[in-house]
Amino acid sequence: MKILPFDYAVRNLGRSRLRLTLSVAGSALVVMLVIGAAAFVRSMGNSLVSSASPDNVILLGAGSEESIERSEISATVPTQLTGTVPGIRSQLNVPFVSPEVHMALAVGTRQGEASHQQVVVRGVTHTAYAVHPQVRITSGRAPRPGNNEIMVGRLAHTRIGLRPEALAIGNHLWFDDQPWEIVGHFQADRTVMDAEIWTALSDLMIAAKRSTISCVVVTLDEATFADIDAFAKSRLDLELVAMREMDYYNQLSAFYKPVMIMVWVTAGLIALGGLFGGLNTMYAAFSARVREVGMLQALGFARRAIVLSLVQESMLAAAAGAIIAAGLCLLLFDGVSVRFAMGAFGLRMDAVTLMLGLVAGLLLGFIGALPPAWRCLRLPIAEALKAA
Amino acid sequence: MVLIECRKLTKEYRKGDMVIRPLDGLDLDVEAGEFLALMGPSGSGKTTLLNLIAGIDSPTSGSLVIDGQDISKLSRSALANWRATYIGYIFQLYNLVPVLTAYENVELPLLLHKLSRKERHERVATALSLVGLADRHDHYPRQLSGGQEQRVAIARAIVADPKILVADEPTGDLDKASALAIMQLLQRLVRDLGKTLIMVTHDPNTAEFASRTLHLDKGRLVDQSGHATMEAVR
Repeated sequence: MKILPFDYAVRNLGRSRLRLTLSVAGSALVVMLVIGAAAFVRSMGNSLVSSASPDNVILLGAGSEESIERSEISATVPTQLTGTVPGIRSQLNVPFVSPEVHMALAVGTRQGEASHQQVVVRGVTHTAYAVHPQVRITSGRAPRPGNNEIMVGRLAHTRIGLRPEALAIGNHLWFDDQPWEIVGHFQADRTVMDAEIWTALSDLMIAAKRSTISCVVVTLDEATFADIDAFAKSRLDLELVAMREMDYYNQLSAFYKPVMIMVWVTAGLIALGGLFGGLNTMYAAFSARVREVGMLQALGFARRAIVLSLVQESMLAAAAGAIIAAGLCLLLFDGVSVRFAMGAFGLRMDAVTLMLGLVAGLLLGFIGALPPAWRCLRLPIAEALKAA
Repeated sequence: MVLIECRKLTKEYRKGDMVIRPLDGLDLDVEAGEFLALMGPSGSGKTTLLNLIAGIDSPTSGSLVIDGQDISKLSRSALANWRATYIGYIFQLYNLVPVLTAYENVELPLLLHKLSRKERHERVATALSLVGLADRHDHYPRQLSGGQEQRVAIARAIVADPKILVADEPTGDLDKASALAIMQLLQRLVRDLGKTLIMVTHDPNTAEFASRTLHLDKGRLVDQSGHATMEAVR
């Protein structure tokens, strides 16, 4: 098949600046939406999945498998576990067993002025840094027990609804009717911990007037999940259940599936609207060229060659919009933090997300060109030549 | 030598319950190198006949043999290839692509042939100089007058060296002076390049340039007259 020069498609774009602007802007909007939706769904999913380590097992209260915050187990479980199950990872004779209290608390900057949003405050010991290697202290230090000190995650301000400066080291946050001094900042990239507040386990237990902990996180070495599971099942008195950390977060991820589906459906519907807008623009662009298309056929160009050229033209406009959209998304939205029930996560415009947007843009250009091109070509040549 | 043979050529189409027959069993022979003018009132079938000969429409019945090949039996894609080889179409409204320069417009039909860039360049340059527009090769249609646009369209029609040129009211949109120049150019193409030219026109003055004029009415030939014009220019 002899095709029309690519240049023809490129130059046809310049025939009407208004139409070109509409096509490019329409494509850019749809692609921004697709990239936004993809970034939201992928970043949210990743933040949950990346929160888990493959070698970690969580021991939590039976019946609380869906939420660590609701779990209560005896504070003696860590000692009993290390005494019973061999093969837990350790370093310098310190086993990787992290007793933790997880509480969703209303946090504010002044007494009695709490945020409407609840923030996960995690009470930890030094072993927490061993079982959660994603956590990296970026400034200041870890909170010391007995001083009501806290360390805040990179996205904690988003979760609370404050500006980042409000969480500077030396400032105080209020929760459980007490002031807590910020002594450090940490980062746990792409995990839910990034939006948490960490404090000393003992301080949080005292403040919350509780004698129980929420869970124990264990890192396996030679021991297997079955060993920890057997411990949980054999100690009926402790009312424990063992879960792989991966399974726990996968289960949470599944909980958010409907939200993710809703996001895709909404993006899809709006993209469909964009597609109809694009179709309309292309109908107008191509129907103004019916006679020219008739002439090309009269010269001997095959219909497929003309359709290809019209599709190229449409895809070029869509691709231009897609590239602009990808650039804008990278500039404006990369790293923007989004609050959700589990905490907050940063939108990541990674290669896969941007590629998805570009593919959506090209698809939009392709699908948006076919019906108008078909309509433009369905006229017999003799009639097309008589078109106004 | 007969180049075009129409036998019982009929074209009809339906409009609601009515059958409209713009061509009704027409018989016609056209010699190679002939300049034929088709005249007749609106709806007489002259443009339909032109379109059938140009291969952009298909007859309902009858045969249409051009250079020994019955083109009414060709498939759509084969007909497109045939058009690229045999036909140069000159339109009333020029139909130049506004985003392409005169050179690129003329080059379009050559893209359908296996030619190198250099060969294409040589042919386009020759065609443009034949129509007297070598110096306007980089002009866009909007930068040309109507007469110049039609000359670019003629260059486009001859550039692939087709045997047959078809022209539908080639001077219908031009002033008198430009129309005269175009007709003289067409006459020269027939005389110098040996092309067969079939032209539809309403204008008896334009038809005077043809070597033969056919009058159609209701899809049939009603009169046929020859002119001495071709002999005169020879």
